[in-house]
Amino acid sequence: MTRRTTSPESQRSTRRGARASQVGLESRTRAWLRHHRAMWLDSAQRLAKRPLSSLLTMLAIAIALVLPSGLWLALDSARLLDAELDESATVTVYLDTRLDERAAMDVAARLRDRAPVAGARLVTAAEGLAEFQQGVGLEDALASLEDNPLPAAVVVTPADTDPDSVRVLASNLEAVDGVDEARVDLAWLERLRRLAELGQRLTLALAGLFGLGVLLVVGNTIRLAVESRRQEIEVVTLIGATHAFVRRPFLYSGAWYGLGGGVLAIVLLVLGGHWLSAPVTALAESYGAHFTLPRLGFGGSVLLCVCSTILGWLGAWLAVGRHLADIKPR
Amino acid sequence: MIVFEHVGKRYGGRSEALADINFRVERGEMLFLTGHSGAGKSSLLRLIMRLDKPSRGRVLVAGHDLDRFHLSQIPYYRRQIGVVFQDHQLLFDRSVFANVVLPLEIQGVEPRESARRVRAALDKVGLLYRETALPIELSSGERQRIGIARAVVNKPSLLLADEPTGNLDPQLSADIMRLFEDFNRIGTTVMVASHDLALITRLRHRVLRLREGRLVGDEEAA
Repeated sequence: MTRRTTSPESQRSTRRGARASQVGLESRTRAWLRHHRAMWLDSAQRLAKRPLSSLLTMLAIAIALVLPSGLWLALDSARLLDAELDESATVTVYLDTRLDERAAMDVAARLRDRAPVAGARLVTAAEGLAEFQQGVGLEDALASLEDNPLPAAVVVTPADTDPDSVRVLASNLEAVDGVDEARVDLAWLERLRRLAELGQRLTLALAGLFGLGVLLVVGNTIRLAVESRRQEIEVVTLIGATHAFVRRPFLYSGAWYGLGGGVLAIVLLVLGGHWLSAPVTALAESYGAHFTLPRLGFGGSVLLCVCSTILGWLGAWLAVGRHLADIKPR
Repeated sequence: MIVFEHVGKRYGGRSEALADINFRVERGEMLFLTGHSGAGKSSLLRLIMRLDKPSRGRVLVAGHDLDRFHLSQIPYYRRQIGVVFQDHQLLFDRSVFANVVLPLEIQGVEPRESARRVRAALDKVGLLYRETALPIELSSGERQRIGIARAVVNKPSLLLADEPTGNLDPQLSADIMRLFEDFNRIGTTVMVASHDLALITRLRHRVLRLREGRLVGDEEAA
């Protein structure tokens, strides 16, 4: 037998036939929705009635959210940078200095046709010298040289930018006729990857910690709210309110706090972005790079709000569950 | 309606609040529960409301063994019982109407039907004209009547009252008792705990007498 059929309510409803229709599934669902709507509004009004303390709670949540989401954004921009770097993960193949220009072009063409190579660009000895002069600013010193000491080179872009396969490709390229040396400098790329991984873990750990912080902030606020409405809880429990009924307004309050905190966190992130963007761009420009701070965007903002709302709801759920057990009608 | 079989109740390590209580209340009956304070009246009512479980014996209400209820069923059980408290337990942050409508809100009755029933209940206790007042603006007699309106608004089959006239003068007390008699007349089982012996004897209903947790008298209605 199911619990429903043994519940006193249903027994009563069968006893009092006229009322049976009232406890039908449809009207129960309607009543449930009605209470949800009422509590959704009621909890918002309660928060609005004490704007300062509500705002402070939301601000505390926002501050806890800003650090991990800011870090996440920074990491995201590092990932963008990483993708750019992947493209620059090239193998420089230095050709035998004895080869003339025509032979060099042949070798370059052969390299281009090899399997895991996405592209190969020939840099002749003369071009190499010109580039070198431009980049380093040693025009005078180089001009005094009689011969061009640079070999022709082919800049090979690997199809697969994974460090290990790039290394294999480099050693394969060295075996090609007319190739003197294939050089690939991956150490700094790997270092950057490790740093990014470290940053990712750090962000996760911080997100976990600060998420816990949000739970505690909401939990504590809701605990006080439960305490201040103790009499009401006792009375409605005495006249037959279910736990879900009693819990509902507090869960909505928690969700509101979370949502408010999420919105404030977005505001803080935008303000912080503005505050930092000028020096960051200037710094990047001094390195000859073009870099702007990443923005949260619409999707990111929605995600942040959804997460913070869920965190608020969860914090309230934990707090109410804990404290309802303490409240027993006298 | 109510059956107590060898019921005992002990709170913590203290002596027994109730010991070997046996009685039976028929549907539609009205009775008083009396005794000095501490005799066990409130403990007995708490058992019927399923706020406590008996340490020994069985309590049956409307055919249900209260011990067998699952925790989640208790709220639905309580909705069948109207309770009037000595301190009326009104919520002071909301109007009289909002207080009385509470049991119907909990049951999920449609708002229009709720309003109709609340007004009927307020009319019954003679306070329809105060529906928008706040409890703080009412006299203690009026508050108690609002408490009664809340207890009867969902037409419970059982009405319990714990010292409902405790703070009232004799005239108001008599008015309150007359209300209970009215509800009893339309079929509600009414059980009133009171130590106001003068009032009880005048009303000529069945009386259960408790002394130190034991049932020492069960006098049928005169």
